[in-house]
Amino acid sequence: MTTDIRASLDHCVKCTICETYCPVSAATPLFPGPKYVGPQAERFRSAGAPGSSGSVDESLDYCSGCGICSQVCPQGVKIAEINARARARMKAQRGVPLRDRIIARPSASARFATPVAPLANRALASPVLRYLAEALMGVHRKAPLPRFASRTFQTRQRRHSSADSSLPTSAKVVYFHGCGVNFFEPRLGEMAVAVLERNGFEVIVPPQDCCGLPLQSNGLFSDARAYVQRLASNLAPYARAGIPIVSTSTSCSLMLKREAHEILGEDSEDLAVVSEQMYDICELLAGLLGRGELDTRFQPVSLTIPYHAPCQQRGHGIGSPALDLLELIPGLEVIEQDAQCCGIAGTYGLKKEKYDIAMAVGRPLFESISELGASLAACDSETCRWQIAHATGVPVVHPIELLHRAYVGEQ
Amino acid sequence: MSADTVVIGAGLAGLTCALRLAEGGRKVAVVAAGAGSLHLGGATIDILGYDPGVVASPAAVLGPFIRAHPEHPYAQVPPSLWAGALEWLRARCEPLPLMGSMDQNLMLPTAAGALKPSAFAPESVAAGDLSTGGKVALVSFSALKDFYPKLAAANLNRAQPGSAERIEARAIELLGTVAGEADPGTLRLARAFEEAPFRAEVIARLEGRIEPGERVGFPAVLGLYRNPEVVAELAERIGAAVFEIPTLPPSVPGMRLHALLSRALKKARGRVVLGAPVVSSASYNGRLQSVSTDTGARRSSHEARHFVVATGGVSAGGVTLDSSWAFKESALDLPLDGVPPPGTERFCPDVFGSHPASQVGVAVDEEWRPLDAGGRVVYDNVRVCGATLAGAEPHREKSGNGISLVTGYAVADAILRS
Amino acid sequence: MKTVEAEVLVIGGGATGAGVLRDVCMRGYEGLLVERSDLAMGTSGRFHGLLHSGGRYAVKDPSSAKECMDENRVLRRIAADCIEDTSGYFVTTEKDDPSYSDLFIDGCLKTGIPVEEVSVSAALAAEPRLSPRISRVLQVPDAAVDAWKTVWGCVRSAQDHGGRALPYHKVTGILREDDRVLGAVAEDRAGDEVHIRAGFTINASGAWAASIASLAGCEGITILPGRGIMIAMGHRLVDTVINRCQMPTDGDILVPIRTVSVIGTTDEEASDPDDLAILQEEVDQMLDDGETLVPGFKQARALRVWAGVRPLFKDSKAEASSTRDVSRSHKLVDHRERDGVDGFLTITGGKFTTFRRMAEDTVDAMCAQLKGERACHTHEEPLPDSEERTYYTLGSRLSAREEALHDEQIICECELIGRRALENAMQRRGSFDLDDIRRTLRLGMGPCQGGFCIYRSAGILHSLQSMDAGTATTSLKDFLQERWKGLHPILYGDGLRQAKLDDWIFQGLLDVEHLPGRAGIKKAGGEKA
Repeated sequence: MTTDIRASLDHCVKCTICETYCPVSAATPLFPGPKYVGPQAERFRSAGAPGSSGSVDESLDYCSGCGICSQVCPQGVKIAEINARARARMKAQRGVPLRDRIIARPSASARFATPVAPLANRALASPVLRYLAEALMGVHRKAPLPRFASRTFQTRQRRHSSADSSLPTSAKVVYFHGCGVNFFEPRLGEMAVAVLERNGFEVIVPPQDCCGLPLQSNGLFSDARAYVQRLASNLAPYARAGIPIVSTSTSCSLMLKREAHEILGEDSEDLAVVSEQMYDICELLAGLLGRGELDTRFQPVSLTIPYHAPCQQRGHGIGSPALDLLELIPGLEVIEQDAQCCGIAGTYGLKKEKYDIAMAVGRPLFESISELGASLAACDSETCRWQIAHATGVPVVHPIELLHRAYVGEQ
Repeated sequence: MSADTVVIGAGLAGLTCALRLAEGGRKVAVVAAGAGSLHLGGATIDILGYDPGVVASPAAVLGPFIRAHPEHPYAQVPPSLWAGALEWLRARCEPLPLMGSMDQNLMLPTAAGALKPSAFAPESVAAGDLSTGGKVALVSFSALKDFYPKLAAANLNRAQPGSAERIEARAIELLGTVAGEADPGTLRLARAFEEAPFRAEVIARLEGRIEPGERVGFPAVLGLYRNPEVVAELAERIGAAVFEIPTLPPSVPGMRLHALLSRALKKARGRVVLGAPVVSSASYNGRLQSVSTDTGARRSSHEARHFVVATGGVSAGGVTLDSSWAFKESALDLPLDGVPPPGTERFCPDVFGSHPASQVGVAVDEEWRPLDAGGRVVYDNVRVCGATLAGAEPHREKSGNGISLVTGYAVADAILRS
Repeated sequence: MKTVEAEVLVIGGGATGAGVLRDVCMRGYEGLLVERSDLAMGTSGRFHGLLHSGGRYAVKDPSSAKECMDENRVLRRIAADCIEDTSGYFVTTEKDDPSYSDLFIDGCLKTGIPVEEVSVSAALAAEPRLSPRISRVLQVPDAAVDAWKTVWGCVRSAQDHGGRALPYHKVTGILREDDRVLGAVAEDRAGDEVHIRAGFTINASGAWAASIASLAGCEGITILPGRGIMIAMGHRLVDTVINRCQMPTDGDILVPIRTVSVIGTTDEEASDPDDLAILQEEVDQMLDDGETLVPGFKQARALRVWAGVRPLFKDSKAEASSTRDVSRSHKLVDHRERDGVDGFLTITGGKFTTFRRMAEDTVDAMCAQLKGERACHTHEEPLPDSEERTYYTLGSRLSAREEALHDEQIICECELIGRRALENAMQRRGSFDLDDIRRTLRLGMGPCQGGFCIYRSAGILHSLQSMDAGTATTSLKDFLQERWKGLHPILYGDGLRQAKLDDWIFQGLLDVEHLPGRAGIKKAGGEKA
């Protein structure tokens, strides 16, 4: 598989389409563009064991890993994947800064922060401490860091069981909540569970940890592999029993559906079966809709909201199931945004040297949302929500929250 | 995913077909390996440029051309549909008006200084028509490596169209970086033109350098989506007519057209999934049931009543040739027409010659349905349009976007009627 | 009619001729070289780029093997910048006789070629594309050498020592007075005649040596052109030279050279050294041979196919002559001994790897005839740019580009050629021919095969050289036609889609086909269309 990724560079005909879509090269000349750092530069790098030929191109590090280039390449060059692997080789050679090691491990940080969440959040909001963090660690003082919840979703969920719900359950589903819901947005997790139960699912929440995506995108491949292997082994038994696994983070679910295999080269049986059963929650519900099985008894929600499909949502190649669902809600007008990328790209936009680029990348989206004068926006990925809210001041929710609101009725 | 029609391919043919269907109230899903070729394409709608000599009037030669080439895609288009297709596109290009007519090809200067016969072009490009000669000053930026006004002007001066007024072309090169960049590229330059200070600087540097009666030609970088305002301001402040010359990809005019069509499709509730090449299909009783796309994750199945193959032919991987010299239609494995027999020449030794392999594609009936070698319809509910059709050499005869537009429109028409 | 004078005239601008010119000039003679086309357009520019360790000949031809290893060491010292230290593997595939590898080791030890066994798993870790079905791997100091760079390096070294080189000067006659050769008559690119008077003439024209010799009245030398094809694949499938561990045969070598991998070669007797036809069956065979070394080879992208001819020497006067049979790999003919003609030597045969040695032997023989022994130093002094004695590395153009990322335009994106390098090369060459520039810099030799860079280069050339548009246009169109010769026999898959995109650019967008060129410009001399 890894040789397939590099071999795909052969398909490049230099058409420049990837460059026209790349949101980072549109925002800064520091990034020479996906065609340059992907299939073109890869011809000047060695394939073999790292260290066989020195890694020479720093400009590669400005790639945010959004993956849009691979989606739009008409020839099927796996550009983003080539870049990700090349970046890992570069980092293996040059070393990875402490900062990257820390921000790439949200669950490790949370271990310390959650028990003292109010204090941790006050610290993160303190301008003085943020200046220090920028100077010492390289995390930009204005980077949109989320607030820790006092109790994790796992903890809160322990008290909940689908069997307690008065609704009949016809099928099971496993909820892969990810770090975002677990440490920062447990309320979203509870809404997702409620929506699934409303549609007749018994929701199982097995023990689980990080999928390793932030480690992968920071080039820490062997650490990423350890996380993803552990997660896959936790989820595999359910997958083997034919139980679908549903996620509310389009980034984490893409990691398990595809990126762990293509970029890390993970090809275990556990990962394969998990991948096969992995669904984005909107994807799953839209599937029900297609079969006429979705509970469509929605109360009106009178809002006009912009919707941004995250880059990694588009990377699933499933179309826009969120839009298909939201258009069922009476009174809700959804305005699909044209913009490509919000800029955060996971941990990219948190970094001191990348923050301004990330904000420039997202500017067209931020302006479009601000111009609409909306009071709320929707987006399927947590880091994107935090970035958009930070830049526009508009609260951003996962589309599931709107479904939940429509099921429950506006208070 | 299910839809009324699944269109495979997101180039001009695919988007035309999808948009027309969506406007007709059908639920349309476009699935494509990637973004289509409009970003490369120039946005001129070339109907027929050479046959083999210069075609002055496509309308006048179309009849004889079709009679001489009965296997050409144009031969399948009902004559009544031509006007409809062109009018349809014109209406959708209202923000960036499409100029020209079937009766008279424009003679548009190319970035190498040739005069290319083209039937329709966006206003900013059409304004460079040199069929009646004229004085032109070609302006470019030394930082832009994709346009050479001196070479273009020198060749234009050699390529007189035989009009009453001669072409008198010259070059003006603006030296220095653009927006501080040494290697900006056409897209970067187009974005720079959308900033007022940049425009003001360009205008200032051209002050007093344009002669009366001269038209000013730029490479096609005059703004991205705000092109009409940019052109208008430049023309007014420079005091001369301003036009654009399409140059190496990425094609900014092509991107403008792409934006118009894809926004319209979005507004009409069409869905587009990129990064999703079709890898397999399922059929039953002579009808296609579904196609599966591979996005690297689990395959997605797309069911529909109708399917359209708009995959771009040999140029875009819609028709492939492998190293065992076998041709294949890549989406649905449809039978191919025009395949050179083994042992015969696939390509002419002259690089600009007619290459048998270039014309390989799918043969269709009058309903655009694919035919096998025996002339039988392969699938009742599948139609083919654009460069995947057999029998054309779009780059040689200058018919690429013309074929895409009219056949894409005709296929949508056939589906709406069925 | 122009007249030029020199002490020594060298005919032939391949590696041999360039090496002879350098040696001649370094020994203090006034040397002049003429070549009918661009330098290294013959065999030197058409092989796969292997700098032999000699392993290939260790069993079959031990003296050749030893000679290769000796020169391998010398060239690494003097032309490091032209060489990439790729190392080489001899692998036993499922199609090879396993016992040959023992003979191979034996042969290497006897000829002084360093050989080491590498575990199959280590080899596969270093070369992930290598076939997992190999059973044994032996490592030798093969390397990849850039022929154009080496040949031009020799010429520049010669120029530093007062020498001159005249490409595009085709020899049409040899000047003789009784039993002395006094120089030659040549035709330049504009078709004018140039008389070259020289005290000594060295025929280093490789596969064309027989016809040059007969211009001097020295008949009976036969060079049998052994034609072989090679295919350049779009990227480095391997970073180590991969050889089949068996008796030399077709398609048994894959050489990583610059940004491509080259598979070669075949061996067909050609009737004429300019017969560079490419047959479908040969192409198919090369692709299959590639698949044996690298599974998936036939799905990989091929860029270009070309043919080269090896000069195989045959002399009807063999018994009567006393040719200096220093080694069986090259042939030095002293025409004083063979034909009674003074001031004329012919050197032919050999391999690229041994060119310097061939030149040394030749100039030694010339000095002997002139009765003035002068020592050879070509094995000591590095070529210009190789003074640092650091090898070329794959990433060098990328790291150079990274440094200049914000300073200048990249003109040839595939091969990372910046505008300054391009303009310098254009000025140095002073040629209107973009193909000449291609050979100097590898312009247009990447995957897009000139699709983007050739319009740009034509525009830059037109402006820089204040050229007329007709000449610039002809240069552009000729480049495309020349490129097409090497493309269309190998056009499939990704390469076909690229060719169609390039058709869009040159025909659909630029419409260069309908631009008039300029009549009367000669294409590269001697080549059949």
